[in-house]
Amino acid sequence: MSTLHPGAAPATTTAATSGAPAPDDPAARSTTSFFATMLTQTLIVLRKDLLLEWRSRSRLVSVVLFGVVTLLLFSFAVGPDVRALREGTAGFLVLALLLSSTLGLAESFRLEQEQDAVEGLLLLPIEPVALFYGKALGNTIFLSLLAPILIPVALVLYSVEPAWSDFLRLFGLWLLTAAGLSAPGTLYSAMTSQLRSQDVLLPLLLFPLVVPVLLGAVKALDLVLTGDAMGQLGSWTIMLLAFNLIYWSLCGIVFPRAIEAS
Amino acid sequence: MTLRASGLGRRFGKHWALARVDLEVAAGEVVLLAGANGSGKTTLLRLVAGLVRPTKGTVSICGIDPQRQPLESRRKLSMISHQAYLYPRLTALETTRIWARLLGLPASDVDLLPMLEEVGLGGRHNESVAGFSAGMKKRLAFIRTRLEKPRLVLLDEPFSALDAAGRRMVEGWIDGFRRSGTSVLLASHTLARAARLADRGILLQQGQVAWRGKAEEVAARLEAASA
Repeated sequence: MSTLHPGAAPATTTAATSGAPAPDDPAARSTTSFFATMLTQTLIVLRKDLLLEWRSRSRLVSVVLFGVVTLLLFSFAVGPDVRALREGTAGFLVLALLLSSTLGLAESFRLEQEQDAVEGLLLLPIEPVALFYGKALGNTIFLSLLAPILIPVALVLYSVEPAWSDFLRLFGLWLLTAAGLSAPGTLYSAMTSQLRSQDVLLPLLLFPLVVPVLLGAVKALDLVLTGDAMGQLGSWTIMLLAFNLIYWSLCGIVFPRAIEAS
Repeated sequence: MTLRASGLGRRFGKHWALARVDLEVAAGEVVLLAGANGSGKTTLLRLVAGLVRPTKGTVSICGIDPQRQPLESRRKLSMISHQAYLYPRLTALETTRIWARLLGLPASDVDLLPMLEEVGLGGRHNESVAGFSAGMKKRLAFIRTRLEKPRLVLLDEPFSALDAAGRRMVEGWIDGFRRSGTSVLLASHTLARAARLADRGILLQQGQVAWRGKAEEVAARLEAASA
């Protein structure tokens, strides 16, 4: 027989093991407990998704290849005009990320639909918000992993030579763009995961919503690659951060409604 | 009362999958749900679990409404469905560990391996679920009922895909649930076996309760109803 103890609610256990002193106010204690539980569950979902991704790696390989092919196609389309290629590098990179992201995001909830695993998770006392943040963080990490491959490929293909110090900025902006695509992408992926037309619907829903992130990302990356004489990079980065904050908050609020009982 | 459903109904489009169902299950009671395919057994279980929103009526589990307080109600129940709720690419031990962690329970090998032994997967805990037979997946799914320690267990075809030893194991657990005061709502087509375990039976027909009575009489009633 099992040695586990009944009735060990996640909130209680997390609070007990966190080591943080419990506030006296019951409402504050409840809020603290909620966030502690949510954080713990988010990390469990994230870890599970990363493990599943690591086990197959097929999604990563296909998305990376898709991204590289997209960059190559832009290079062929523009032709030998090096100046035009350089000027378009930021846009090409963001488009490659956007197109690759739909491929990856659509797949993220398909894993949950196999054998109704997501229903199994929802039958557990798990905060739906934790499921969202776990999966959205997983998708952000997944899309961020494209950066070390797609950025160097683009720089070589389009003959752009940024300073070494700019690489950190490029990766930082890529991370912000990936996060900005992942939050709404995860929400729409969940909403469309049971539809046969998911592959068509997901881009249709996602693309209009992420236009501000795409604009911000193209402009900010361009300023890093071609120079920022007017000192505008900070403003565009703040805009990217602001839209990330909006998407991650709103999608977190909407997600439980999107996956709740039909 | 562990489970109380009153005037419960669910419509899909124009079709009422379940209509005006009243049901009470006391602590430690095992109730058999019988009925032909499409009679509403699975819909009833999903409504009770809070996976489907009722079109009409109310459900309460230990006094908690699954729609209003989903997390609280889910702490009281465990459900084993047709689907095993598994990730094929994870191993049995990893799957169990995720469930245990989400429940806030200890999740070390020492805690979990005895449970996998108990369901007959002890030697295969490091194997990927994708390679498991349907019966082995079912055994793994049953670990949830051991982890969750629920007040109400919802079982949808619990004997399907299991071999003789597996079926005996599930029978033993259902008996154990009864003894520990956990209620069981059991939907099955294996009526003879299920009737032996149940305290009473309910026959569903076209989404409505057609008959209630002794579990042993369910098979005869179902036969009469389908004739």
